[in-house]
Amino acid sequence: MYIGIDVGGTSTDAVLLNDNKVQATTKVFNLPDDLLGSLLQALDKILQDVPVAKIERVVLSTTVITNWIAENKQDSVGLILMPGPGRKLQQYRKADVHIITGAIDYRGREIIPLLEEEILDTIKALKDKGYNKVAVIGKFSPRNNTHELQVMKIIKKHQPKWLIELGHIAGGELNFPRRVANTLLTCATKEKYQSFVKSIRAALKARNIVAPVFIMKADGGTMTLKNSECSPVETIFSGPAASTLGVQSLTPAGGTSLVVDIGGTTTDLSLILSGQPLLSSKGVLLGDQLTQVRALAVKSVPIGGDSVLEIIGKELIIYSERAGQPYCLGGPFPTPTDALNVMGLTGLGDSDKAWEAMQLLGWKLNMSPVEMARKAINLMVDMIVTEIEKMFLEWEQEPAYHTWEVTQKRKIRPQNVVGVGGGAVGFIPKIAVRTGGTPVLLPYATVANAIGAVVAKPTLQITLRVDTEQQKISIAETGYQSKLAQPDLDEQQVLALAKSELINRATSMNIDDDISAVEVLRQDVFNIVRDMVTTGKIHDVCVQTVRGIHCHVGVGG
Amino acid sequence: MQKQKRTGLIFFPAFDWAISATHPEREERLLYTRDQFFEEGVLDLPEIAEYPPVVATPHEITRAHFCIPGVDYQTVTAHRIAAGAAIHLSDRIMSGEIKNGFAIVRPPGHHAMRVVRGNRGFCNINNEAVVVEHLRRVYGVKRLAIIDTDVHHGDGTQEIYYHDPDVLFISFHQDGRTIFPGTGFMDELGGPTAYASTINIPLPPGTSDKSFLYVMENLILPMIKDFDPEFVINSAGQDNHYTDPLGDMLITAQGYARMTAMLQPDLAVLEGGYAIETALPYVNLAILLAMAGRDYSYVTEPDYQPDKFREDASVTEYVHKTVAHLQNVWKNRLAKQQSQLVSHDKYYYRQKNIHYDTENFEEKQLEKVRVCAQCPGHIMLDSHMPQTTGIKECGRVLAVSVHNRCCEYCIAEAWDVYKNAKKDERYSYVYMQDKTEDTFLTFRRKDGREWQTEG
Ligand SMILES: [Zn+2]
Ligand SMILES: [Zn+2]
Repeated sequence: MYIGIDVGGTSTDAVLLNDNKVQATTKVFNLPDDLLGSLLQALDKILQDVPVAKIERVVLSTTVITNWIAENKQDSVGLILMPGPGRKLQQYRKADVHIITGAIDYRGREIIPLLEEEILDTIKALKDKGYNKVAVIGKFSPRNNTHELQVMKIIKKHQPKWLIELGHIAGGELNFPRRVANTLLTCATKEKYQSFVKSIRAALKARNIVAPVFIMKADGGTMTLKNSECSPVETIFSGPAASTLGVQSLTPAGGTSLVVDIGGTTTDLSLILSGQPLLSSKGVLLGDQLTQVRALAVKSVPIGGDSVLEIIGKELIIYSERAGQPYCLGGPFPTPTDALNVMGLTGLGDSDKAWEAMQLLGWKLNMSPVEMARKAINLMVDMIVTEIEKMFLEWEQEPAYHTWEVTQKRKIRPQNVVGVGGGAVGFIPKIAVRTGGTPVLLPYATVANAIGAVVAKPTLQITLRVDTEQQKISIAETGYQSKLAQPDLDEQQVLALAKSELINRATSMNIDDDISAVEVLRQDVFNIVRDMVTTGKIHDVCVQTVRGIHCHVGVGG
Repeated sequence: MQKQKRTGLIFFPAFDWAISATHPEREERLLYTRDQFFEEGVLDLPEIAEYPPVVATPHEITRAHFCIPGVDYQTVTAHRIAAGAAIHLSDRIMSGEIKNGFAIVRPPGHHAMRVVRGNRGFCNINNEAVVVEHLRRVYGVKRLAIIDTDVHHGDGTQEIYYHDPDVLFISFHQDGRTIFPGTGFMDELGGPTAYASTINIPLPPGTSDKSFLYVMENLILPMIKDFDPEFVINSAGQDNHYTDPLGDMLITAQGYARMTAMLQPDLAVLEGGYAIETALPYVNLAILLAMAGRDYSYVTEPDYQPDKFREDASVTEYVHKTVAHLQNVWKNRLAKQQSQLVSHDKYYYRQKNIHYDTENFEEKQLEKVRVCAQCPGHIMLDSHMPQTTGIKECGRVLAVSVHNRCCEYCIAEAWDVYKNAKKDERYSYVYMQDKTEDTFLTFRRKDGREWQTEG
């Protein structure tokens, strides 16, 4: 038996899966500032009469980190940057930035050395302002981390209790501004996240659950709860990822589906291509910060069932803000939900109130409530369909750096249009007609997140770089950098090395049982030629565990 | 208020294509540029929009070239993608979606001439010419300028537009007496129908940023202003850089960026530049930021110091003299009579020996241009390869090109030439490029077949 729990902003949802069937589901409204209490309530509701010894796995998804950042509740962090020459640095408005001397180039060679005195001055300045958390990030540190390590060593010597995060570990891909964001966020949420993890452990212990515990990542995979403490930012946006995976598990394998999750204020769009959720090519945007966090490609449209409808002149407008409940549920303004009620497409709310709302809106245009409701629904569908088209276009517009990628580009449109969320029922058939897909409405749509969590599998990726001229080897995801053990490696050896690193890492994370196979995402090799002589090779290989879900979920007892 | 338009970028490093493993034009060439772009996060900038590369069609290539025997034989996917990228950006610019564009693509193209029998100076397809013909045909653009800032003379582009009064081609480069391809002297000024629409500015080895920008400000910008083009293309070669292994100039990333900011091209297309570690990452970044209107003042090479290079006084003096001479040519260009230039002949002839350096063979060409008072005339190219054997041997071919503004007499005459050549046993292939109708025909003697590229 498996447990899936989604800790959201307002409710905690849980499901119990038994033999690939949903045995119990629950939705508990969060007790203010009592995560432990909410978790216990949810567990108790799904575990009635269930022997806890039979629980094999617990998986969580959460938006707590996203919410902390949105509400500005993260801890304050001092930033030490080594940008060197290049693009002029943008402002990091929310942090105290200290730029110090020192620069590394794209091959990891030192261009400008550090100045120890300057580092000491910086430490003093940060101390005077009361900081005890510091993020240290250098440009090209994934190619050479010695500057970051040196700065850390000096800080440790003078301030041994400070929490220090380094760029090459928190953000190992090539993108300095995003690396700064990753490192900053990791540093700012780590302590708080540890207390979140503590509550989870306490809840499970209180109910004698000893099964391994995983947490979902934004890319739709999972990691152990323990590992997540090192990189809490990986868990941001695991909520939308969970909902996409929920759909994946509830629809037949191998299909191409567009997932439309219509909530109160936003509509989230995502894609399942040939049975696999589509990953975003770039990291997620969190607030106003672009990060290196890999995530499923989810497009958020700021309209939903509770959006406000208004007539301006002769024009019907949908506002993205929410002004309370729909009119039919006692709210102040007409909303798309009222329109659905009038058309008999939802059972939600008081139908007299809904008619009143459409009448209020319609009289200015000389339209009957039914005409008005139809117009409102069509407008909402128009807006969503426009965004869907844009999303497909954006996906086709992804850059390509190899000739084979250009020649293999395909145009894809979905077979299924799958509705999730409270507002989906009324809109999905219309959206499906417009996009040429088959409308699908799912059972358990309201707890799709928790179902997504329960079926999610661990994912691991290793990007290995070998520079035989400089005799260097590095792994982007772990921050590992070292001298090359043997002078030369051919393509097969590099690939084998990457695969074994992946397996080693899986073993160290206790997820090797879940790794069925390894797939190669990319393998490039570049001859380094100087003065017409080949002086070395740069290998760049990226491998990952085969993505997937534990099972497809059926309707159970 | 209207949102500020963005700069379009197509970055196509062709990581799976090379001329050969150790050739300068190999997979590694844009690797470090990619690293620098990714690490600087420039692709995340709100001022920059990255687009995917697109494959140019044979028809689009045939608008600019006679590929012998055909497009498929002379190009691989990488060539078509480089040309397609430039076309795609020009479309986005014309639609108003972006304000300008930078195609960082390989392979380059500015040594490719109208007739393509192989690879010249690492080029098969002239990406800029393909864009020019696309803009004329699809959008009716009348006047264009191509400014070639590669260290090598853009002899291919010059050859294609030598008789075209609607395309101003300006190339500044290291003096042809000291570098490949050995052409691009001040007296190469275009044919009699297009006098002074070709301008060459040979610069002495050792020219630094100061003189580079002097030429831009005092010669190139005023000429562009007078010519008043609707679209400006920059053949953005980066081998003028002080570390380039092929050139002997002293230009820095800052120099390139300032030059770009002054020129403000609509479209920049990467040409040469083979200091793949010491120049390209910095020069490409500086140019891109300059096009996007961002601060590029911190983009410097690791060993850069302001005033690193003191230009020799003789170099400065030579450059100033060159500029003064060409200013004079430009000022007096309208006084030159066509009849003077061609001594009252109906046709203008040029005998050309074209060297293909990559595979080392020669092409001999007789160019015959109809000198017409009403229009830019048509061009006949009689080409053969004197000593080559093997598959390159396609024998003697005749190619006829009709300018998009040709008068009805010239069009009729050109078609007569084409029809007669089809009967002439000496030609194994006969080509017709009629830009007035966007019609491109190939006739093959061997089986008597004639076909048209589909547009
Ligand atoms: Zn060049
Ligand atoms: Zn004529």
